[in-house]
Amino acid sequence: MVNAHTSLPSLSPDLLPVHALIEAEQKEFIGAEDGVQRAGYFCAYTPPELLAAAGVRHARLFKAGSPEIVANGERFTQSVFCDFSKSCIGGFDKNEGDPLYQAVDKVFNFHTCASMKRASEVIGQFVPTTLLNLPRLRDQAASREFFREEIIHFRDDIAELAGRAISDDEISAQIVLFNKARRLIQRFSELRKRANPPLSGKDFLELARGYYYLPPEKLLATYQPLYEKLSAVKDDGKRPIRLMISGSEMADGDRRLVELIEDEIGARIVVEDHCTGLRPFTHTLREDGDPFAALADGYLDQAPCARMKPLDDSVHFSGGLAKEYDVEGIVFVYLKFCACYGVTKLEFLNYFQSLGIPALEISSDYSHSDHGQLKTRAEAFVEILNDRRADAVVAAD
Amino acid sequence: MKISTITGEASWKYSPPDPVIGFDIGSRGSKGVLLTPDSIYTSFVPTGLYMQETADILLKQLLRAAKLRRRDIAFVVGTGYGRISLAYKDIPYQVVTEITCHAMGAHSLNPRTRTIIDIGGQDSKAIKVDPATGKVLEFVMNDKCAAGTGRFLEKAAVLLGLELHQLGDVALEANEPAAISSQCVVFAESEMISLRARGERHQDGAARANIAAGIHFATARRVKSLLGRVGTEPDLVFTGGVANNPGMWFALETLIGAKFARSPIDMIYAGALGAAVHAGRHHAAALAAGTARPRPTPVARPRRVTPEKILVNSQNG
Repeated sequence: MVNAHTSLPSLSPDLLPVHALIEAEQKEFIGAEDGVQRAGYFCAYTPPELLAAAGVRHARLFKAGSPEIVANGERFTQSVFCDFSKSCIGGFDKNEGDPLYQAVDKVFNFHTCASMKRASEVIGQFVPTTLLNLPRLRDQAASREFFREEIIHFRDDIAELAGRAISDDEISAQIVLFNKARRLIQRFSELRKRANPPLSGKDFLELARGYYYLPPEKLLATYQPLYEKLSAVKDDGKRPIRLMISGSEMADGDRRLVELIEDEIGARIVVEDHCTGLRPFTHTLREDGDPFAALADGYLDQAPCARMKPLDDSVHFSGGLAKEYDVEGIVFVYLKFCACYGVTKLEFLNYFQSLGIPALEISSDYSHSDHGQLKTRAEAFVEILNDRRADAVVAAD
Repeated sequence: MKISTITGEASWKYSPPDPVIGFDIGSRGSKGVLLTPDSIYTSFVPTGLYMQETADILLKQLLRAAKLRRRDIAFVVGTGYGRISLAYKDIPYQVVTEITCHAMGAHSLNPRTRTIIDIGGQDSKAIKVDPATGKVLEFVMNDKCAAGTGRFLEKAAVLLGLELHQLGDVALEANEPAAISSQCVVFAESEMISLRARGERHQDGAARANIAAGIHFATARRVKSLLGRVGTEPDLVFTGGVANNPGMWFALETLIGAKFARSPIDMIYAGALGAAVHAGRHHAAALAAGTARPRPTPVARPRRVTPEKILVNSQNG
């Protein structure tokens, strides 16, 4: 069932064209010889609207999951960096790195956690890298003013890379386009509110993945008909166990927990509270007025990462999403040594408990040696949830 | 053995309508429990390379002890590390995780069970159980590393020149447990080596006991950290292979500050017993739904000794 050793992911057939489109886009990013510059960024707080407005090729750099790439990166870090930050460094290795990373002309990194800040400093040795500041105190007016300035610095940097000026109108036009893409992806997710969702959690992750590689025009042209098709799927009456995944990011290439839960155990992930799942698509940006203020407010107001303050915002957003999607359990998963989610886990778990939603805590990495233990945990968790369902039926009778 | 001699009651609410089996195929040892309407049989073998073969050996031993035939078995539930490797063409089979099974195994023998510590060959778990149903309320499992597991104790015994079954008793002779701070089995090993090097020759025995006790406390500290979310509400029950180690029993009781409840059978069988109880329930549900395996004909057939059987016997030595 798990397709770890085949080239195609175990997506439903409807998603395979999307997968092919993303692969083709990456190939073009790597191989195109038209002189267009290539920009890469790590974090979901980076506004791709500006990169698109400048006409540069751009991609979120979040490929990870292979132990070899981790080992490449570990030569530059202590062991207590998370495997994602090690993978970001490892991807730039001249010989054994990832071709997409090797093709990048310029990296932009909004400073999120200490590991990623240090990682981008190492990456600066391989490729020109700009580190930008991202305020933590999202509820303060001064933060917004500062972030707006930082975004203008970002624009200037991109203009230099592109070798041309970027007009405010071009930026506003991209805000409208990216809003359309965000809204459409959110509508896909809403289909998962059905008792038997017409798309799996893994399918949704693929749609979210596409957002970070495909230009929005291309994305809309392919996703729109797919949405029509999936929304017309008839409910066949099955009711799989509904789970949310919450926590740190799930890299492009790290699908083993999702495959384990959906393909091997048969439960469904119906919503994600992480920055590579639904989270970045729950908010849209203002489309009128000063585009820089719209970007600053829009990105600070989006569903918050656990590195933002106050933490209650992140915790309550997560719980709210769980209720909105009527989940029966939450899998809270974070990478080992994650400085954001590894140390805030109790606030999340205690809040889930206060809502009466069972939660399973998993700390993981990309070493692949813990499949058996992960499976036992996830299976036992689903057994508990099945029991609760049976008890609820008995209580209702 | 008659169930009533274990539970002390004439009828046991977990007795199955027909013979059923639970297998707990662990990373180091495999356990089998066969339940009939009035009896219980247990069997243990070290887990082999091929888990189906291991389960087949257990099955033959259990059938021999209970004087039953393979076709008398109405249902099998498999649990443990090797649960997914088992397959039966002729017997209804289900897989249940060891977390659910340990909870049910401990609960079925002692309904006051609220907290279980299970330490096996490669993992350790803390489980919070609903005393009304035997269902799992919460569980925490160790990370993938071997600290806090039986494997760690096994390694320690080798370094101290002891058999695994001697380790706990030696630890109880300690007058001053050595401070082993490493939670990592590899680093703890080097700590042990330097401690051993420091022990003066004429005090070897005492030094060894102190190191052994230190190892048990290091392991117990690791396991205790699992109890954070699960709590330590009594009755507290210790299950898994390491529950047979008196040194571990002592170290855990000391650190937790509470006593474990005594169990009427060797709690290495808790998982397999829970699996058998689940098998009994699945079978009862199938009987109620009319989908159960047809009962065997009452005609007794002479038992044939097949070459396969002879091979299995010789393997058991």
